[in-house]
Amino acid sequence: MKSLSQMRDVLIAGVGMTRWGSFAERTCHEIGGEAIRNTLADAQMGLGDVQAVFSGSVYQGTGAGHQAVKEIGLTGVPIVNVENACSSTASALRLAYQSVAAEIYDVVLVLGMEKMPRGPIPSTAFPDWKLKHGFNMQPSNYALITQQYMHKTGASSEDISLVTVKNRQNGSLNPNARFQAPVSLEEVMASRMVSTPLQLLHCSPLADGAVGIIVSSRDKLKNAEKPVTIAASVLTSALYGDEYGPGDLVGSLKYPPAENFAELSARGAYEEAGIGPEDIDVAQVYDAVAAGELWDIEELGLCPEGEAPARLRRGEFNLGGRIPVNTDGGLMARGHPLGATAGGQIYELVLQLREKAEKRQVSDARIGLAHAMGAGGNSAVTILKA
Amino acid sequence: MSENAKILPLIPLSEGLFIIPESASSQPCLLASACRNCGEVHFPRRETNECPQCQMPELEDIQLSGAGATIAAFTVVQQKPAGGFYHGEVPFAYGFVDLPEGVRVQTLFKGDFNALKIGEKADLAIGDICQDNEGRTVVTYMFEQVPTEG
Repeated sequence: MKSLSQMRDVLIAGVGMTRWGSFAERTCHEIGGEAIRNTLADAQMGLGDVQAVFSGSVYQGTGAGHQAVKEIGLTGVPIVNVENACSSTASALRLAYQSVAAEIYDVVLVLGMEKMPRGPIPSTAFPDWKLKHGFNMQPSNYALITQQYMHKTGASSEDISLVTVKNRQNGSLNPNARFQAPVSLEEVMASRMVSTPLQLLHCSPLADGAVGIIVSSRDKLKNAEKPVTIAASVLTSALYGDEYGPGDLVGSLKYPPAENFAELSARGAYEEAGIGPEDIDVAQVYDAVAAGELWDIEELGLCPEGEAPARLRRGEFNLGGRIPVNTDGGLMARGHPLGATAGGQIYELVLQLREKAEKRQVSDARIGLAHAMGAGGNSAVTILKA
Repeated sequence: MSENAKILPLIPLSEGLFIIPESASSQPCLLASACRNCGEVHFPRRETNECPQCQMPELEDIQLSGAGATIAAFTVVQQKPAGGFYHGEVPFAYGFVDLPEGVRVQTLFKGDFNALKIGEKADLAIGDICQDNEGRTVVTYMFEQVPTEG
């Protein structure tokens, strides 16, 4: 196997996003088409420049990426649809990155899009017997991990609520976020119980939305933005003993994994990028539920185990803190269109590294990390460098 | 009518997970697989004999009594799961128990949800989920926390 770091550099040539929200009147491919238009405009390219498309989505059925590309035009280039649950767009980006690094293509479009069904997430990732037993209530599986995290670290319900407060504050500065109104600690703690210990405002809101990323070789860059390089893109999937991951809820007592798949993918990404967690200036971590941000920060090595709640209270993860986390509001405020979510994280990192994040700008941000988990399971870590 | 209702058989929610006791004096048990090569125990029982831990075709069927179970995690669910597959009551509680055979079992909990606590002992039981179209009682395996003394 050849390491990607031995191949040519792959850069972000353009990014584009739509507003994320609830768009009952729009089709997914219309939303996807808008993201492609915005991405091409940012890259100062036309569809004719694109040599391949990798399109991430979960619920959009056969040929979803084809439908979105048709909104713009048809050029005959290969379009590959990628379904990897909530890490779909990170997985699509990884394929694009590899194909440009290996000099198969020079310019590749990555698309992430979703139009979500309403209510709790339906999932085919569960066998029939688990569905009949009610084990498919998605916030509930996170509730079990949250309960274990609280038991182990002593984190309180207030600690978890403070994640929501921070991310909704960041979301109030993001014109593409689903929720742009901040919430108070009292509002979060008074929200209804969904699945103990998780309350409604501890759960990320579903959303419709799309995002595009064009990756290219250095010589194909067209816009005048500060160049952003992909330093690492690592995917770890379906690890034995970690089937209830993320977090510490192992599936095997006799053979628990030495590292869970979030930790494995993070370590792989740091190695590929030749850096350590101490070098990260800004991070988009996986807050599908508010508590998830706390254990994810720890599993990514951004702070020692068990210390995320206290450090959150000290403001380390706020805009202006030691390492700002989920600067665009994260899943909690940006919203969670499953297949597009990981792409939204990358979009925010690119803005931060270009120093174009406006009111959310992290000063002197040079290295950014994004982490997306996905049912199945999947853990995708992407590191970008300015 | 009430006499007839008593002799209607109990219907398992899913086949192949557990055995319903035939008489009041016998105990339920869970159906599982154990690997002769690596010793891993899998619940539910696997249909094929490959062990996903060591990838060797060495699995054999075993039964788990459920004795000595410890609660590892639980959640009390306040809304109906998506998809219409679950027909039991809401709220309901589920989570994981650890068995002395070295296997973590995903399970519904029976009894007082508010008393559930990590680290407490629990017993295997059969519990009602719903009635089927013919009015028969659909049941499944559950764990019930053992009341602490005093």
